[in-house]
Amino acid sequence: MLNVNIKIGVVPLHFRASELAFALAPLPKDELPPTSPLTEEDAQDLDALTLAKSYFDLKEYDRAAYFLKGCRSQKAYFLYMYSRYLSGEKKKDDETVDSLGPLEKGQVRNEALRELRVELSKKHTAGELDGFTLYLYGVVLRKLDLPKEAVDVFVEGIHALPLHWGAWLELSNLVTNIEMLKSLSLPDCWIKDFFMAHMYTELQMIKEALQKYQNLIEAGFSKSTYIISQIAVAYHNIRDIDQALALFNELREQDPYRIDNMDTFSNLLYVKSMKPELSYLAHNLVEIDKYRVETCCVIGNYYSLRSQHEKAALYFQRALKLNPRCLGAWTLMGHEYMEMKNTSAAIQAYRHAIEVNKRDYRAWYGLGQTYEILKMPFYCLYYYRKAHQLRPNDSRMLVALGESYEKLSQQAEAKKCYWRAYSVGDVEKMALLKLAKLHEQLNESDDAAQCYMLYIQDIFSCGEQLEHAEVSTALRYLGQYYFKNKLYDEASLCAQRCCDYNDAREEGKALLRQISQVRDQIETPSADLFAPLSNNNTPVRRVSPLNLISFTP
Amino acid sequence: MASVHESLYFNPMMTNGVVHANVFGIKDWVTPYKISVLALLYEMTASKITLPERRRLNKLILPLQQGPDLTLGQFLKTVEECCPQTAYAVKLRLHEMADGELKDMEYFFSTLPTPFTAFDTEAYKTSVVGLFMRHMLLAYNKLSFSQVYKLYKSLQHYYHSHYAKPMDGQVPALVADDSEMDLTSIEDTVGDRVDKEELDTPLHESELRSDNTPSRGPLSQKQAEYFLARQAYLLKNDENKALKPAALQEELNNMLKFNPDFAEAHYLNYLNSMRVQDIFLSAHSLLHYFDRLILSGNDGKSNGDEGYGRSLRYAALNLASLHCRFGHYQQADLALQEAIRIAQESNDHVCLQHCLSWLYTLEQMKGSDSTVLTEDSVKMAAHFCLPYLASLGIQSLVQQGATQGKTAHKLMDALKDTDILHWKHSLSELIEISLAQTTSIWRMYGKSTMSLQQAQLLLNMSSLEPVNFGVQQNNTEAFAVVLCHLAELHAEQGLYGAVSEIIQHLKEQFPPHTQHAKLWMLCDLKIQFERHMNEGKYHLAEPLVTAITALNQLEGLYRKAQVLKAVNRSTEAYHILQQLQARCEKTKCTEMVIRVMLSTAELHWESSGFSTALPVLLQALALARQHHLQSLASETILHLAFTQLMLGVPEQALNVLHEAVEPILAHRAVMDKGCAMLLAARCQMAVAGFKPNRQGQAADLRLAASALDTLNEAAAYFSQLNCKERLRDVHYLQAQLHRSLGQILESNKSAMLFRLLDQELQSPAPPVSMRL
Repeated sequence: MLNVNIKIGVVPLHFRASELAFALAPLPKDELPPTSPLTEEDAQDLDALTLAKSYFDLKEYDRAAYFLKGCRSQKAYFLYMYSRYLSGEKKKDDETVDSLGPLEKGQVRNEALRELRVELSKKHTAGELDGFTLYLYGVVLRKLDLPKEAVDVFVEGIHALPLHWGAWLELSNLVTNIEMLKSLSLPDCWIKDFFMAHMYTELQMIKEALQKYQNLIEAGFSKSTYIISQIAVAYHNIRDIDQALALFNELREQDPYRIDNMDTFSNLLYVKSMKPELSYLAHNLVEIDKYRVETCCVIGNYYSLRSQHEKAALYFQRALKLNPRCLGAWTLMGHEYMEMKNTSAAIQAYRHAIEVNKRDYRAWYGLGQTYEILKMPFYCLYYYRKAHQLRPNDSRMLVALGESYEKLSQQAEAKKCYWRAYSVGDVEKMALLKLAKLHEQLNESDDAAQCYMLYIQDIFSCGEQLEHAEVSTALRYLGQYYFKNKLYDEASLCAQRCCDYNDAREEGKALLRQISQVRDQIETPSADLFAPLSNNNTPVRRVSPLNLISFTP
Repeated sequence: MASVHESLYFNPMMTNGVVHANVFGIKDWVTPYKISVLALLYEMTASKITLPERRRLNKLILPLQQGPDLTLGQFLKTVEECCPQTAYAVKLRLHEMADGELKDMEYFFSTLPTPFTAFDTEAYKTSVVGLFMRHMLLAYNKLSFSQVYKLYKSLQHYYHSHYAKPMDGQVPALVADDSEMDLTSIEDTVGDRVDKEELDTPLHESELRSDNTPSRGPLSQKQAEYFLARQAYLLKNDENKALKPAALQEELNNMLKFNPDFAEAHYLNYLNSMRVQDIFLSAHSLLHYFDRLILSGNDGKSNGDEGYGRSLRYAALNLASLHCRFGHYQQADLALQEAIRIAQESNDHVCLQHCLSWLYTLEQMKGSDSTVLTEDSVKMAAHFCLPYLASLGIQSLVQQGATQGKTAHKLMDALKDTDILHWKHSLSELIEISLAQTTSIWRMYGKSTMSLQQAQLLLNMSSLEPVNFGVQQNNTEAFAVVLCHLAELHAEQGLYGAVSEIIQHLKEQFPPHTQHAKLWMLCDLKIQFERHMNEGKYHLAEPLVTAITALNQLEGLYRKAQVLKAVNRSTEAYHILQQLQARCEKTKCTEMVIRVMLSTAELHWESSGFSTALPVLLQALALARQHHLQSLASETILHLAFTQLMLGVPEQALNVLHEAVEPILAHRAVMDKGCAMLLAARCQMAVAGFKPNRQGQAADLRLAASALDTLNEAAAYFSQLNCKERLRDVHYLQAQLHRSLGQILESNKSAMLFRLLDQELQSPAPPVSMRL
């Protein structure tokens, strides 16, 4: 069956099948499945089919369709219809460029769709459609904005030809939630597992997706680059950066000329600020094919990391010219415009991203940031809330929400946000610090100390050194706090630790001196009990409103 | 895979990340309709037309040029009405092009008189026509090879669809005949043509009508703009004429699907969602609109960065108004502060002024005193020459002043001054508000005639809007308020038939889901409640209390106390009244405070605490006088007189009563008139030395006779309202009076009437002396 995919030459489809076939252990010769026997009609149409297939490969769709007109075999019929469909699409795209006036551009339609639908629905009711034509029928229906009918037809097509991954993919675009997914009746075939894993990734149910992929690997697809890349993407989605990076590196070794998913890889490298690796990847990809969306995105990321934002934006634009529905590029371009302080262009880019996919939380977040830059904290709340809705367990949105609330002097809400951000697992380790500072401002010293303590624990437990860590601030506050509460042992401990940091060394020493003074006084009761405390208020450091460095595309 | 199938939604006009909807800076594109207009212009310059016809055609040019694209049928029909000969010529010319070849169209464009050569014709380069022609020529010359071909194709389609449509309904033979005609003879006889035209027209009209139904595919830019403007206007002024919310939503979705950059559609979407109280969607659309607007604002050449910042400020302001509308005062406050901050940063005084007027509105809605803010706002608005905001502020000040008991003539003066301003700037909206406000103020002061007159004035005023899409009756808040007042005024006079008609009209004009529907709902409930109370049907009044409470909590509490009082659950009623008084005094709701005091005094009567009722009543009287609330004042006097009667000083009571009777008879409700008359009669009886159950001892026969007259009058009022309990009292007194005057026959008659009513009512009569 895999062979059919390859033979019929639905160009973008067959490589997936061959990829999987390659990933499996080679079969001994005599176990090879018999090639499907040619029917009488197939034999008759063989020459026309071959000719048309060549034209089709050369993208001369009308020509291919012309030579296939009289053919009666299923294969030829599919190629005939498919050529007509693609020809319509191609013409539509060409039309878009020179239309009559700005409003007409939206009206350009694939004129072939209606005819195709009529013909196909006739055949469909007669039950003459095979798996491929059913797939095509589904695509036509989807294009005509008939999603319900399209889903039915795709499911039917999948039942007729379960190994056609294209139909599964199209179906995945139409499934919007898990309930809908569960309600579909799908054939019980090994490819269903691939589909389910794909769907879980789409619906942000990463844990289930990883489980599925793991099962597939154990079932014998351990060498499949497709699965490795999907797992890596899944890890990327849950922000397990190291795992994802490791997987991508493995993928690069196995499949060095791969371009798919490399944009995701570059995002990861960008997050980690791994300049040399990103540079290597960019140059390598340019050598392979410089006119690919992924390549352009990688180059954009590369320039962005080098702070050459104009060039980065240029490359993202190029990516969009190659594929305007490339979601990631719109969002990334928005980020670049933000860097260039071109807020209106950024808003436009983000809005486009949302238009392509309403569930793109990064675009919503970006819009929020844009308005935050424009000093409209209340206005940006809406966007952050949207982003938070889409990713309820992402601490970055919560921290952003908290910051906005703080700016609006809604401390109660801000506290809730920060605490929740900490509870869902804070990636940037900022929430606790901010919470502590908020408590400090509100003179809730016990809560503040508690938060600083948790913060220090958090920082040290994660092991690695973070750039923006403010352990010293925390230690300084804790020292003062213990001192005020006359817990001198703890205070001196904190003060000593303070001395490890440059910015807090002096204060640490001063505190130590004070502590020893007070201790002396306690021992010698003649002295004054309360030495005046040095009134060094801890300066509240301003956190820049836009923390783009830590924000990852 | 997906990339192959996904439609290439790519905007070629994108440069530097910003889509310029308008690359060439030309709004006009050549469309088949425009070609028809060009043909018309060409014919007008070329051929000889009689003067009246020419005049009619000239009048037609501007609407044709600027209006939305019409179908060929519509176009030809309008031209034909002015000059059939030219219409025929135009049709001929179009026919030449459509049924000919591409070169015919090209030839047409080349023969057009270029405005640069024609000096003495109407097509001179700076004239309206000349400008249009130049636009069209320029647009045509810019078209690429394939675009020209496409234009020609669409022209053919445009022309043929005009003739193709009738085929559906008619015999195919005629179609064949039709095409033959077209092929064979261009110099067809005019008569035949006209015949065919006549056949076509009715069908075209039906087609037109079906055109008005939603979801008919993409609209052209002009058409879309026209559609949006019209719907927005209707939403503002007469919602019932606009499309239904669902239909409008569908139409907008359709429009946005074909042109996602059409920002105004998002705004209309926002308005539409507000109609159905959908906070989620309306916030979404509003923000989307401003996101889009910020882009187009950036486009403006005149004030590049300025325009962009400006829309940001107004975005925040609009968000504030949105939250305000949905009653999220805290959110609104935050958004408003944000707007104020950005406006301050960029020194935008006009925007700041708008913010300020919103600020006091918000304060007012929250129920706190905002007089100082409003005064500031008015001063600043006057300084920046913003008449709208200034007089809006004054109106709000007047409203506050009225509730705070400012001197009446000052308020009226202020309103009059603003009216002058309104008429000067023809701010029709404010004129309406002003009239509605005067109605309310007069009503509050208890001058029902004046109030009635003002209400009628507003209702009979014809619309002042420069463009009204055939809208006669606006449905703004002002109209709702005035109609409610009208209903209540009629109810007071017991004209319930008229009331139900008014309420019916309100229901139609302001469907329950709309913004101002609550006004009439409350008004309707109040009227029903009063009616049931008057008729003594307390069990019917009680369920209404819950409904009233839902709409207005204070009013609901008050009504609840009234019902409790009526069914003799005095303790509960007293508690509620105390609670209510405390709350009203906090919110400075003077009218309600006085009413609560009156009710409290009535409760005191029930426990025979007439002397305890006195201070309460005096306090109420002072308050009412202070706030110029004449109706409440006279009602209080009525209460006072009754208390005095009960305390045994009927002469004093009669004196006091005389003071109040006049305004009551002039302005008050029928019920009050009846009560006043009844009370007067009782006072007269008391003065006359009449004691119940003692026969023939009337000291002053003259007074007793006049008391009888007064009682008759009262009986007339009560029977008008079908208020049986009071009628029973009246008959009782009448019977006694008659008897004391020795008129046994009349006495028996009254006694019988009393007996009948008493049987009907079944409830034991409360002691007649214990209530007003």
